[in-house]
Amino acid sequence: MTRRTAFGIRACTWVWLIMMGLTLTTYLIGRFAIGGLGVSLTVLVFALIKGQMVGDYFMGLKRVRGFWRWPVSLWLFLPGGLIGAAFALVG
Amino acid sequence: MAAVSYPIGTAGPLQAQSTIESNRFPPGDLAIWVFILAELAAFGAFFGAYAFTRMRNVEMFNHYQASLDSDAALINTFALITSSYFVVRAVAAIREDDSRGCVQWLLAALAMGLLFLVVKGHEYVHHIEAGIRLSTNKFYMFYLSLTFFHFMHVIMGMVILAAVAVKANRGGYSDREHTGVETGASYWHMVDLVWLILFPLVYIMR
Repeated sequence: MTRRTAFGIRACTWVWLIMMGLTLTTYLIGRFAIGGLGVSLTVLVFALIKGQMVGDYFMGLKRVRGFWRWPVSLWLFLPGGLIGAAFALVG
Repeated sequence: MAAVSYPIGTAGPLQAQSTIESNRFPPGDLAIWVFILAELAAFGAFFGAYAFTRMRNVEMFNHYQASLDSDAALINTFALITSSYFVVRAVAAIREDDSRGCVQWLLAALAMGLLFLVVKGHEYVHHIEAGIRLSTNKFYMFYLSLTFFHFMHVIMGMVILAAVAVKANRGGYSDREHTGVETGASYWHMVDLVWLILFPLVYIMR
């Protein structure tokens, strides 16, 4: 069975580069021991953006309609929300 | 599961991306997606448990988190993101009926997976030599169990990719029939996806 759900290589190459850049930024935040709620939530948002990119472009879910379009996004939202709430509650 | 076939000779998959229609099902075998959702639910619960346990032990979690090797975590994150990208290239290759290219990209992805295992294994050896165990404290309990659970998934993903590569090398896939490649790719992307949350949560956020 053949279906084309992924995106073009050029788009995926850009996604890969953006994810590498976001990862490096996250690492530098950790390397220089930058803490605080705002920074932690920013790092979390970076991770959620990367996760959404993997779902949309690498897994090809952006081209899927109906039920299967949403589980990965929902998964990112629920644990992401829990993690964000837990960090926010302790400031 | 609904199937959409594309006649040979039509626009290649890469050129056709902007015009192709949506699908009702994700790439690969639907069974792997049920499995992927179950795995994601397990990791999601684990992440939530880590975050809420940390709420009552913030200073202890921050203290021991600082002892982790963030350089190794960076290398491993680069390795998994890059391996996922290589798997995307493998799927694109087989959609062009390029079995040789598919195998080469899969082998490159496997090399990145092996790099992950070596770096993570080195971290574990360091922890063991330092006398760190699951029972050392709550932080290490979560850190070791979360990362080792993921470590096992990397191994399983590599076994799947290797099996796909062997079949592709024997000409078992084509531009018309490559569900197996997409199935293996979907699982591998899930392994990458989980690490993308695990990395900042355990190594960076404080």
